[in-house]
Amino acid sequence: MTSPPPARRELDLTGVPCPLNWVRTRLALEAMQAGQELFVRLDAGEPRESVPRSAREEGHLVSQDAERVRIVRR
Amino acid sequence: MTLTDAELERYSRQLVMPEWSGAAQERLRSARAMVIGAGALGCPAATYLVAAGIGRIGVVDDDEVELSNLHRQPLHLTPDVGARKAENAMVKLGFLNPEVVVEPFPARLEDLNAEALLTGADVVVDCSDSFATRYLVNDTCCSLGIPLVEAGVLGLFGLVLSIRPGESACYRCAFPVEPPAGSVPSCREAGVLGAIGGVLGSLQALEAIKLLTGVGEPLCDRVLQFEGATAAPTVIATRRRADCPACCDLVRPAPAAAATPERV
Repeated sequence: MTSPPPARRELDLTGVPCPLNWVRTRLALEAMQAGQELFVRLDAGEPRESVPRSAREEGHLVSQDAERVRIVRR
Repeated sequence: MTLTDAELERYSRQLVMPEWSGAAQERLRSARAMVIGAGALGCPAATYLVAAGIGRIGVVDDDEVELSNLHRQPLHLTPDVGARKAENAMVKLGFLNPEVVVEPFPARLEDLNAEALLTGADVVVDCSDSFATRYLVNDTCCSLGIPLVEAGVLGLFGLVLSIRPGESACYRCAFPVEPPAGSVPSCREAGVLGAIGGVLGSLQALEAIKLLTGVGEPLCDRVLQFEGATAAPTVIATRRRADCPACCDLVRPAPAAAATPERV
């Protein structure tokens, strides 16, 4: 019996600089299905600004709290 | 995803492009290109294919590096004068990207070895400097069904055309009449500016990447001509010829004859 793909994934990208953090986020999203959630931990500053912006530009749904960025794959 | 950390970093500036993807990068990595000629077109074409992360690349050239080559063949440096171009290209491309398997073929592509050299390639990039070789590469790619990027440069002028055999116009469809030997001057006689080879060779790498990855729209059924003196690009539509001896027997029926663009 095969189990369905997990509906959510987590990525800890603290310490990973731009644009490598977006590269990893993007590849993770590419491997997921529409509607699945990705939770990403990012450093404050440029990473917390540019990764959500890039994700929005590619049409994903993005929200964030103090800890993580939540991306719903389009 | 099986891209390594080093690959992610090396290719990060293309992996962030909206048009690109991990899948495109993996398609490129699983592909093998054959570059015919390591000269004015072949140096930039091979450089950008290797830099972008092609999996394997063969470089066919039987010449040795001469001082008069250096102004237009940037893989060959002054200390390399006298070295075999195919082998020197392998060394320099290996410095650029050791993830890529580079295979040197210090041979001249001819009737007898063309099929053996090109078999197994996913794309052929024709950077040769003679019409006879160009038609031979085209005809061999048509019979083997291998996508091909053709180009030529002379003086300040160049052109480029992508070919999907059986689907789009082949080189012989676009240029059905092979010019008699000696009727078009060579680089040796007419001269060529190095940078024009850089422009057209880079376009060949771009076209090969598009053919291999499915990213973008290759220059199929279109000849791009670039007049360097005015920086004026011209795109001329071309199409398959029903009577083309190279590709008329391939899968899709060819439409009627089309206009012939200016040649180089």
